[in-house]
Amino acid sequence: MRILLIEDDSEAAAYMAKGLKEAGHVVDHAATGTDGLFLATSERWDAMVIDRMLPGLDGLAIIQAIRAAGNTTPVLVLSALGKVDDRVRGLKAGGDDYLVKPYAFAELLARIEALSRRVSAAQPETRLKVEDLEMDLLARSVSRGGHSIDLQPREFRLLEYLMRYAGQVVTRTMLLENVWEYHFDPQTNLIDVHISRLRQKVDKDFELPLIHTVRGAGYTLRAAR
Amino acid sequence: MRPANASLLGTTTFRLALSYLGIFTVSAIALLALVSWSTTMFIEWQVQETVEAEATGLSEVYRDRGLTGLAEIITQRSRQDIEGRASYLVMGLDGHPLAGNLSDWPSEVSDMLGWVRFSVLPMGGVGPGVEVLAHAYELADDYRLLVGRSLADAKRVKSAINRALGWGLALTILLGVVGGYFTSRHMLQRVEEMSRTARRIFGGDMSQRMTLSGTNDEFDSLAESFNEMMDELERLLEGIRTVSDNIAHDLRTPLNRLRSRIDLVLLGTPDCDAYRRTLEETMAEADNLLATFSAILTISHAESAARLERFQPVDLATLAADAVELYEPLAEEKDVSLVCRAASDQMVKGDRHLLFQAVANLVDNAVKYTPAGGCVTVSVSAAESGAVELTVDDSGPGIPEESRDAVLERFVRLDSTRTTPGNGLGLSLVQAVARLHTARLTLGDNQPGLRVRLEFTRMTEEPKSSSSA
Repeated sequence: MRILLIEDDSEAAAYMAKGLKEAGHVVDHAATGTDGLFLATSERWDAMVIDRMLPGLDGLAIIQAIRAAGNTTPVLVLSALGKVDDRVRGLKAGGDDYLVKPYAFAELLARIEALSRRVSAAQPETRLKVEDLEMDLLARSVSRGGHSIDLQPREFRLLEYLMRYAGQVVTRTMLLENVWEYHFDPQTNLIDVHISRLRQKVDKDFELPLIHTVRGAGYTLRAAR
Repeated sequence: MRPANASLLGTTTFRLALSYLGIFTVSAIALLALVSWSTTMFIEWQVQETVEAEATGLSEVYRDRGLTGLAEIITQRSRQDIEGRASYLVMGLDGHPLAGNLSDWPSEVSDMLGWVRFSVLPMGGVGPGVEVLAHAYELADDYRLLVGRSLADAKRVKSAINRALGWGLALTILLGVVGGYFTSRHMLQRVEEMSRTARRIFGGDMSQRMTLSGTNDEFDSLAESFNEMMDELERLLEGIRTVSDNIAHDLRTPLNRLRSRIDLVLLGTPDCDAYRRTLEETMAEADNLLATFSAILTISHAESAARLERFQPVDLATLAADAVELYEPLAEEKDVSLVCRAASDQMVKGDRHLLFQAVANLVDNAVKYTPAGGCVTVSVSAAESGAVELTVDDSGPGIPEESRDAVLERFVRLDSTRTTPGNGLGLSLVQAVARLHTARLTLGDNQPGLRVRLEFTRMTEEPKSSSSA
């Protein structure tokens, strides 16, 4: 993926760019709002990471400008402002996702990859399939290798999210936000318990495990490590 | 600031007093004019009555006793009228006077009959003329009779009234100005005193308060509101101070631990596995620190009450069910039964994410402190008072009554060994969220265990922001 990074903190930018390059992406970096807007409009990108507070031009203003020009490139907003109001403002300006500083790099990477996936999966799907695991979104049924798996509604949504982003890392926060739809800090590792329950149903009786833990990041659903 | 005396004329109170005075003066003048006019009218009407009565009498005399009788009466009356109040004249057809105290038919009257006004010289013939109100009649046989009365008395009464009213007006204006001056000075002194207090507060003395005069006037109510505001501000400042002290204290320990861990591994022989292990531990420690920070931020955010305008209808029953569903696997793992008893449709106005965070913290605590085989119940119901009541009951050790206030403070953990995970912020976050939603948080005894009760104002049919608890 070609990723444009607009961030004024050079150390943070270098760290991010290094990580993204190691993950196999091509990264360009702009240090001011005006440079960023110029790069954003003059070239084609697969995703952009834009810091909110920038010298020259505010991050939200950049997003509004490129959206007004009809550019639909997925944008992840980075900010130290983490209140729900700030989040809403960022998304209203045209951002696709919002990540509050400080963040773990794994979280950033997972979200960027999820964003690009969101664009390609624009048309509604009725069936999801990973290896021999199949999900029918209309009948709300799941089966693996021909055996039907009985899931609670929340487990169904959890598995659906993992399958939609199959092959990518999804973080615990992403799961909380998208499956439970609450922005909050669990004091305990709740998600792990839910995942292990889901594993019991999806992986236990089968030879090939599909749900994997990614250390320091989250989970991923795929055929092999 | 200018000295009190120089700015007095510019004060609102004084200007207000002046404009009232102006309005009052104008209306007093109008009233005065009306009184003066109606008095004059009344006196003239009386004069006319007198003239008419006399004329009727005189015409009767003429009818009964003829011209001679009339002349006799007129001469007699004229002689009796020492002060020269009455005027009489009888005139023949040829135009010369036959009887009376007027030398000639006054020129103003000419040939007209009816009411006339003219002036005559006063008795003795010196001084300004006296105004006379007279009526001219036609007697039989073409004689003419003029009967008049002097208006001098009326004039005197009128000027006496005008004088009295004028003095009254002057006195009113004087009193108004002096009164306005003293009222404004009084007001100004109180305002000055208030701004002095405010300046002392800017100066850093947060303990300063406005003094109340005890008269319960608008200044007192202003001072009271100001004092309440200062109390709240002082409380918040005190809170911030305590928290920053606590943060310094509570974050220093893990940061120190983090630093010495790195230090140790760097001192040892280079070993890739050891480095990796240390880095992973360091990262976990850093994550804990971040979580603590984020909890502190959420609390201060809830306390700043800036979200009120974002409040939306929230169904507490659904929220409680979601929280129970989220924690159910964790409870099961601990062999604690987690039950939700929620009556449907318990609407409150609030911030869904913060409310969920609060309920999640309560459930988290309850599950954490309940021993295996115990039970945690979350219930949402309509309280008798009409409020929406959310309770989280557990069968854990509970909190002794004397410590219940303390656990709501930040960073307070009853487990002094700090072996259970947590940062001591859970309940203070619940407290902050409750305060933001004007809900009442009470900790009670579940016998055995802890009962946490949150009482919310039920959302009314017509959604409007209510600030009462």
